[in-house]
Amino acid sequence: MILQFIANGIITGSIYALTALGFGLIYNTTRIFHIAYGAVYTTSAYVFYTFYKILNLPLFVSVIAGIAGGVILGILIEMIVYYPLYKRKASSGIFIISSIGVYIFIVNLIAMVFGNEVKILSPGIEKTYEFWGIILTRIQLIEFGGFLIMFLFYIFLLKRTSFGKMVRAVASNPFILPSFGVNVRKLRIEIFAAGSFFASLSSCMVAWDIGMDPHVGMPVLLVSAVSVIVGGVGVFLSPALGGLLIGLTQSLVVWRISARWEQAVTFVILILFLLFRPQGLLGIRKRVEEVL
Amino acid sequence: MNYLLHILIMINIYAILVFSLNLLVGYGGLLSLAHAAFYGIGAYGTTLLMMGIGVNFFPALVAGILMSSFFALFIAYPSLRLKGDYFILASLGFQIIVFAVLYNWIGLTRGPYGIPGIPRPRLFSLEIDSLPEFFIFTGVIFLLVFFFIRILCRSPFGRALKAIREDEMTASALGKNIPSLKIWAFVISAGVAAISGALYAGYVTYIDPTSFTLDESIFILSILLVGGSGNIKGPLVGAVFMIILPEALRFLGLPDTIAPNVRQMIYGFLLVILMRYRPQGLAGEYRFE
Repeated sequence: MILQFIANGIITGSIYALTALGFGLIYNTTRIFHIAYGAVYTTSAYVFYTFYKILNLPLFVSVIAGIAGGVILGILIEMIVYYPLYKRKASSGIFIISSIGVYIFIVNLIAMVFGNEVKILSPGIEKTYEFWGIILTRIQLIEFGGFLIMFLFYIFLLKRTSFGKMVRAVASNPFILPSFGVNVRKLRIEIFAAGSFFASLSSCMVAWDIGMDPHVGMPVLLVSAVSVIVGGVGVFLSPALGGLLIGLTQSLVVWRISARWEQAVTFVILILFLLFRPQGLLGIRKRVEEVL
Repeated sequence: MNYLLHILIMINIYAILVFSLNLLVGYGGLLSLAHAAFYGIGAYGTTLLMMGIGVNFFPALVAGILMSSFFALFIAYPSLRLKGDYFILASLGFQIIVFAVLYNWIGLTRGPYGIPGIPRPRLFSLEIDSLPEFFIFTGVIFLLVFFFIRILCRSPFGRALKAIREDEMTASALGKNIPSLKIWAFVISAGVAAISGALYAGYVTYIDPTSFTLDESIFILSILLVGGSGNIKGPLVGAVFMIILPEALRFLGLPDTIAPNVRQMIYGFLLVILMRYRPQGLAGEYRFE
């Protein structure tokens, strides 16, 4: 029994890890607390739904459309909302409020068009597989596999490409890169595209697994943000660790206590970390003046 | 007429909330997403005392205020050590934990079933239950809160808070006791928010946890930011704007099913536009710099 819960925890954790990697990429480089990331996640699921259920296009095409929808929205938010603020050197408070505004706008737009009820995508019961007494569905295996592939791809991207090099450079000092002649505007767009890709991919997989409603983005955003903090701000791969840790903890809470406390437990973990280990598990301790 | 009175009563209740949040956001510079939690603690605290022990509305209200102020300490303490995004996230965490407790502690709060049949407030022998009476009642309390906050904001306390908002290090170099000022700001703000919770419970006579969610916190914050924070005018404009907007939408003939969504979309859109061109909101003073 415990093995089953651990397996479930790792599966949910890998979804959290995937979205957290994207959130962490954006947060570590631009220092924007991207609340509208939740709206990107929601939008991607609804684009997927529109293509698959309303336009009756094949599954493969619909997934690609869903991911493209999320990525495009992410880029648009950066170009229309964040970049002008960045040029004006706005404070983090301004960014976060704008981001809340974007989130409210998009989520209510979706609710207005599609209604508030839950939408289901997958037609029936998923095929299940059994390994040593642990039962997993096909989509759960896809979720886990998707996370592993993306995680390896992300490592490659960071360590072996020039994009990765610039991303790491921005994270360690955001002011120095422009003076080396790097096109920051383009780099930021790429960062937002990559981050939104993580959110959209996991959104489409989860949408297939359990369906969607207009408010799915907020809990996912919150868990991603918590994963980034718990894993450690400033380190690009640490959100994955944070996400897995939260997935496992939630699963154990569901097993030992009750499913209704899982969100609260996530935030108890967050507050404990903020108070006693603000640099997170793998993070580097910084002085307050450096963080801000 | 009844509809108008209902709107006005809700405005009174929300105006109290927005004014109390202004103390934190506009004066303290602490962007908090936990205000619906204090609103909820006030509503539940007062209701449970009235229905459980049978005390009158006013003593229960005082107890609710104290309870909310007490819980404010849990969020005030982290605020002393956390900056910017980290504090926002901590306040958000507090909001979610309070909601989870209201929702899941069924033995105390009846959880998702809510608490029906909350008694109306009683002033000596007069029971306040008709709409006009309620309007006057909430209006008087709103005015009391308004003047209380106005005096507070113009006092040395309010000015010291503003100094912290502008530059914490300078304020502390000038001998201001920063931890104590911040903690008091939280305690007072949470206490005032509890008043609107109690009024809401007494007015609607039914509460359940879904009135005190994170979305509600975001909504309260967006009213304040649209109006503007850091002075007395801003929140007032935000609250008035909140009256006019639903009415204007009805005027345009939007169906009731999508009207709430359109209203929220307008708030979201305004937040984005204002932050870009006018960060102090329609009539506020604090520019989040």
